[in-house]
Amino acid sequence: MSVKYIPVQWNPNKWKYNTIMLVSVFAYLWIFIELTPGIMANEGRINGQIHNARAFGSCAFFMLTVILCIGPLARLDNRFLPLLYNRRHFGVMTAFVALTHAGYILNWYFAFSSSSKYETLLFANTSFSQVAGFPFEIFGIFALLCLFALATTSHDFWLKFLTPRVWKRIHYLIYAAYISVVAHVSFGVLQDQQNHIFTITFMISALIVAVLHLMAALHERRHGDQMANLSDGWVEVCDISEMKEGFANIAMLANGERVAVYLQEGKLSAISNACAHQNGPLGEGKVIRCLVTCPWHGFQYNVTDGRSPAPFTEKVPTYNIRLEGDVVKVDPQANPPGTYVEPVPVKA
Amino acid sequence: MNEAEAVFLFVKIWSAVGTVIALVFLTVGIDRIDEDARGAYVFRLLLIPGILFLWPLVIWRWMILETGRDRWLNRHKPPREAHFWVAVLFAVAIPAIMLLGLSQRQQWPSEFEPQQLSVEQGEIQ
Repeated sequence: MSVKYIPVQWNPNKWKYNTIMLVSVFAYLWIFIELTPGIMANEGRINGQIHNARAFGSCAFFMLTVILCIGPLARLDNRFLPLLYNRRHFGVMTAFVALTHAGYILNWYFAFSSSSKYETLLFANTSFSQVAGFPFEIFGIFALLCLFALATTSHDFWLKFLTPRVWKRIHYLIYAAYISVVAHVSFGVLQDQQNHIFTITFMISALIVAVLHLMAALHERRHGDQMANLSDGWVEVCDISEMKEGFANIAMLANGERVAVYLQEGKLSAISNACAHQNGPLGEGKVIRCLVTCPWHGFQYNVTDGRSPAPFTEKVPTYNIRLEGDVVKVDPQANPPGTYVEPVPVKA
Repeated sequence: MNEAEAVFLFVKIWSAVGTVIALVFLTVGIDRIDEDARGAYVFRLLLIPGILFLWPLVIWRWMILETGRDRWLNRHKPPREAHFWVAVLFAVAIPAIMLLGLSQRQQWPSEFEPQQLSVEQGEIQ
């Protein structure tokens, strides 16, 4: 969390997550390079430099594929939420693997020219006007730049400095990077690939990413938060009978903001649904002793004043709340982050 | 100067400006706009690549925070609507790109026998 910036705040879950990730990456590279070099590589003779480039390139592609599956899987089924927990470390590792792939390529295909290898990379093929023989390297360069932008802004400082909204918009570059990688592979190694195992695996992986995103988008359209009704300047959230002790009901306001209304110890409180850290859905967290835990990264807030427990300093906006008969209503005007609002008791 | 050289000249200038911005921001600016950064120094090294790469963005946010124009409400509005359009884009672009790529594949002529044109060292032509 945010009590001074420490490079990485390790805990058992992060150790476990990163260990599984690193072991998987090394296992993949070992299998590709040492154990069964013929399975994924070209049937034709290739030297070690090209083989290593293909090992790291395909590894980066599969890592990116897994990263992009985590988001929609977590939206479809909250049992996948733990995979979100340390996804940024996964992304940074992917950028390093992709960079290693680029290094092997540069030091083989573009290294034996009188010009700089970096300049050679740009002018060796300039057939931009044709599909066959299109300079697919440009897609790889673009994807690598996107991954670099994401990796270099992965620290929590950037989230606070840029605001989660701007940070997330920058990190949407991962989608452009993935499409670019699909083009890089389709117009690159796939043109020469005689071994069908990689071709089929690549196509199935990319299609899984596309289908999962489509399923998650349709799921949100069907089961997403409903727009709350406005009456007398207050918005109706739900009937009190729909509320469950320790959990929230989420209402979407006309301006697109979401309010999480909690019932805890027989009293109602309302805070913003967007966590101050990465705008995770606070309304999907459980309240224990007045504290709700964000399901994405474990940030906690007191639901009565929207403040993280000391020594943490995060704050979220609160909302005034009232009970009219059995109808729970909130004031659509948010209070500044950290404003205490007296919880409204529910009559037994 | 060819296009590739021009691109790398641009990269060098961009990085040089970024280096100056990083130096000033990490020694002076960051303490003024983020209380959590005060007294914490090691993490600043991790920010250098990002500042070199995205320094216009750093200047923009730095100015907003310095002048007190940061609106707290904007920090709690996740751009969730983008998910739908990403899904549509993926559903269209990924299959289309893969099909276009596969349609360009060419078969090696079956009767063609590769010939070595270079001369091995020590071999008499």
